[in-house]
Amino acid sequence: MTAATLEAARVWLVVALTLLGLFFSFVSMVGVLRLPDVYSRAHTASQADTLGAGFGLAAVALTVGLAGAGFKSVLLLFFIFVTNPTAAHAIARAAFEEGIVPWIEGDDRR
Amino acid sequence: MSLVDAPLAAGYTLGDFLLVAAAGFAVLAVGMLYRAVVGPTMQDRVLAVNVLGTNTVVILAILGAALGEPTFLDIALVYALLNFLMAIAISKFTVERGGVL
Amino acid sequence: MADTDPPAGGADPDATATADSGAGATVGSGAGAAAESGDASETDAESDSAAGAVIVPVEPTSTLRSTIAHVAASAAEDGASAIHLVEIASWRDGDPESDDRAAAAERVLERVSAWTTADLDDSEAPGAADVEVVTAVLGADDYLFGADDYVRVLAEYAEANGADRVVLDPEYTPVGNTTLLQPLEFALSNTPLSVETAPVDRPTRRERFRTEATTGRFVALFGLSLAFYLLLGDPTYWFDVVTGVATAAVVSTVLSRVSLDSNPAIPRTPMRIVRGVIYLPVLLFEILKANLVVARVILDPRLPIEPTMNRMRVIVGSGLPLMTLANSITLTPGTLTVRARDSDLYVHSLLPWAREGLFDGSLERWTRFVYYGRRSARLPTPRERDDVAILQGDDATEELPIAAADGGAVDADGETESTADPSDADGVTDR
Repeated sequence: MTAATLEAARVWLVVALTLLGLFFSFVSMVGVLRLPDVYSRAHTASQADTLGAGFGLAAVALTVGLAGAGFKSVLLLFFIFVTNPTAAHAIARAAFEEGIVPWIEGDDRR
Repeated sequence: MSLVDAPLAAGYTLGDFLLVAAAGFAVLAVGMLYRAVVGPTMQDRVLAVNVLGTNTVVILAILGAALGEPTFLDIALVYALLNFLMAIAISKFTVERGGVL
Repeated sequence: MADTDPPAGGADPDATATADSGAGATVGSGAGAAAESGDASETDAESDSAAGAVIVPVEPTSTLRSTIAHVAASAAEDGASAIHLVEIASWRDGDPESDDRAAAAERVLERVSAWTTADLDDSEAPGAADVEVVTAVLGADDYLFGADDYVRVLAEYAEANGADRVVLDPEYTPVGNTTLLQPLEFALSNTPLSVETAPVDRPTRRERFRTEATTGRFVALFGLSLAFYLLLGDPTYWFDVVTGVATAAVVSTVLSRVSLDSNPAIPRTPMRIVRGVIYLPVLLFEILKANLVVARVILDPRLPIEPTMNRMRVIVGSGLPLMTLANSITLTPGTLTVRARDSDLYVHSLLPWAREGLFDGSLERWTRFVYYGRRSARLPTPRERDDVAILQGDDATEELPIAAADGGAVDADGETESTADPSDADGVTDR
């Protein structure tokens, strides 16, 4: 009986993690679409999206189980957590070096 | 019995739910695609494609779990690596002076 | 300074010796004339700056011995007033283990100084007896980032000691960083100091590999890559083990010099990993908490954002600690590291709330905790240190260091017209 409840808990945890992942990816998409300039878009692209992907991959790891291929998704999760901010940093820096001025309040450019 | 076959509600299994979630991620990816097409700057496009890539990795991983195909995770790993390389390479080469990172 | 032993007797032959070496010629003869006039103390002061002292940055390399021999010989020939053997500190006083590293540096300097003295004693040149040997450790009170900082430290020292020449060891690797020598030479060429690389035979690549690729680094990288390989493969299958060992051997042979810039040390490296594991959940919690706040702002139909660019000077070492801090800042929502220039981080913040959090410097303290331990984590916040600046908006305290002052984005196509010209308000409506 405990095995069954444990499995049910795992199932609902997977559901919750997937939904959280979807939510943060949605935030990331909204941010990328409506924020005014490349710097602020990089914020959501690196942060909300990393968290969204993190939750999604955690759900996958939980589904597959650590004994199976789950450690690969943990690896993937770790990898994304390291590379995503680095990539966002590289992109923002490229924009900065090209001389794109960050948007501030009152700027009409969107 | 694997976790994917566990019943969730109304006769649907967790696997079905994960497939729907993957579809949801795919819909979000279309939204990013808009930014990748519209830009307006090069960096905007690279950023959007980078986010798209991360989304694709998640979709691949979720599909792998839902369909019971662990090899999808290997593909996702390679995809994540290439995605990172793409962002770094383009950022580096759009700045003439180089030296990004 | 201690360079006040009067070489009045030797000044005369020195002056004639320097007369043929281009740059110092006129001043050198001036010093000679002063010597003839007989005023000993003035002569000394003059000849210090005239014949000039030589600065040799020191690091234990395979060519250090021959570089010293060259410097000693040429200094005796040219009648240089002093040879300054300096070690540029790659540590900062107060860090854990800084005492050990300072002691190691002192040992190197002692040895090198003994070599120099011996070479000068053996020298036949007339000026040899008057060359003074001075040793110093520079820059230990600050973190140094990149070639510019090293050159600044060297130039300050040169000015304080009347030195006008820098001789570089061809194998000199400042702070164990092989990529730094050329930028260093370039930056030095912008100073009044004259730079030369000692013309000594370099050992072949192979020997250099053997000296620099230490066993510790090799073993660490070998173990790491083998573990990674077996993690992806099957550790119980002999084929995977054999190919894994082969791959790891190739990887660690080729890359152990590149990927690790310091030797793994037994108490330090595992401690860093342990503290990193402690930091991880803290970081995750911060990310989650702040992400919720930013998510609310982004999903708010009014979009009440107030982005600004900021500058913050951080006190962490270069390399891995700086990368950790920059990535942590980027991962915590509302702040994005745009550029790390030496110890200055340019951070774009989305909300004033995120900016204030950044200036409180908790991430900086955590990074210091991970890399240097609990004791080093206590330090004033960047705001208290006055190491912060806002570069945009109404509260701006500093100007934005950006290449083009207008919107930029000239490389994109037609639709950027609206972005390129901020004054064109109606341009917004075109999409």
